[in-house]
Amino acid sequence: MNRNEGSAPVATTHTPSTASAPAMTSRPRGAGTGTTFTRWLGIVTLASMAAVALFGLVLSPEDVVQGESVRILYVHVGTVWVAYLAFVVTAVSSAAYLWRRTHSLTWDRIAGASAEIGVLFMAVTLLTGSLWGRLSWGTFWVWDARVTTTAFLFITYVGYLAVRGLGGSHEQRARRSAVVALLAVIEIPLVHFSVKLWRSVHQDASVAGRTTDVTLDGLMLFTLLLATVAFTLLYVWYVLHRQRVMTMEDALDDKGLDLALAERRREAATNGVSNGAPSATGEVTN
Amino acid sequence: MDLTPRTDEVAPPPPRRRGKRWPAIAVLVLVLAGGVVIVTQFLSSAIDYYCNVDEVGAKDGCEAGRRLRIQGNVVEGSVASEGNVTNFVVEFNGVSLPVRYDAGDPGGIFQECVPVVVHGRFTDGVFVGDEIEVKHSNEYEAQNADRLDQALTACQLEA
Repeated sequence: MNRNEGSAPVATTHTPSTASAPAMTSRPRGAGTGTTFTRWLGIVTLASMAAVALFGLVLSPEDVVQGESVRILYVHVGTVWVAYLAFVVTAVSSAAYLWRRTHSLTWDRIAGASAEIGVLFMAVTLLTGSLWGRLSWGTFWVWDARVTTTAFLFITYVGYLAVRGLGGSHEQRARRSAVVALLAVIEIPLVHFSVKLWRSVHQDASVAGRTTDVTLDGLMLFTLLLATVAFTLLYVWYVLHRQRVMTMEDALDDKGLDLALAERRREAATNGVSNGAPSATGEVTN
Repeated sequence: MDLTPRTDEVAPPPPRRRGKRWPAIAVLVLVLAGGVVIVTQFLSSAIDYYCNVDEVGAKDGCEAGRRLRIQGNVVEGSVASEGNVTNFVVEFNGVSLPVRYDAGDPGGIFQECVPVVVHGRFTDGVFVGDEIEVKHSNEYEAQNADRLDQALTACQLEA
């Protein structure tokens, strides 16, 4: 916010660029959000997504009871895992922003980017869950414990994103949303254990954390783990880019502020010369 | 070079974010409304989504006179369909209950030996349902030719 990049930034940037006119069409170095790392990450992500499609749709077997519809499992569980991860990252980044020693707007932007991607993935979870519910339960929607708590978690983070859009300075946005993020993350265990806490139509977890009693066929389990890794890579890829875009947006916002201030200053200077004296005398006569 | 500090400016601070505040407020209002709906649904339905067969008439909220959601396993060999009506028996904890479902195809993966939740009311000792949800287990097993015999006796899988 307090960056003062010279009094007339528009004039200085324009002169050298006219000399190298062809360079204007190609992207200036460092202007995009891609780096060597994210490009490689992108390639690995796309390759693993292709592998998920291959294993999920072709190589993995049908289920004895559910038949083909079991294939939804890989997207449904893979995306909800990423959504949980994203919301936890949002909470940790928000805490890092609020903590004095690590206080930085970068944490706030990571939190925001992560929440956006999390909401996106959770929307996919709800959508695939609804389709799967139609196929196996016989209904698109059930107001049971798991589905209801998941819906609540989803709209909580839609609310979080809305809070980020309320305006004010970057610091205000960061502080408000960090508090919301730290409160919202508490819902995750509630959603995860809802199938244990309350009676639910939804099945229990097949790959539970502590008990090693996995109730999944071997190749199905492999496909599910592959999907989880692929969606996680996709999440990291998206968040890195989104976070960089947000940095640019904030910089643009600050730049806009600087320009507006410079304009007002110029306005004030000209007003001071021409209108300053008459208005002072006007006050005296009144 | 202009080194004047900003604080001495007479002009008011310029507006930030170019007045795009109202869509966020609209979303927040929708989120709050949605949250109220979801919490209401949660308290009225999600906490005790169903009564088990053996709890009917015994547990609070499972009185036989009211509309219920009853959970039990479809008994092997009990399913008989004719036209729009499917008759079957659900069983849980050793208590069984005859069910008449008269809303067409039960849907989902409805079959013998799977646990189901039936929505409906009692009429003359028979539970008449108009909605069925099929619970499926969290067990997934590959279907292949070698194991077709196993697939036919799904009751063993559920046990």
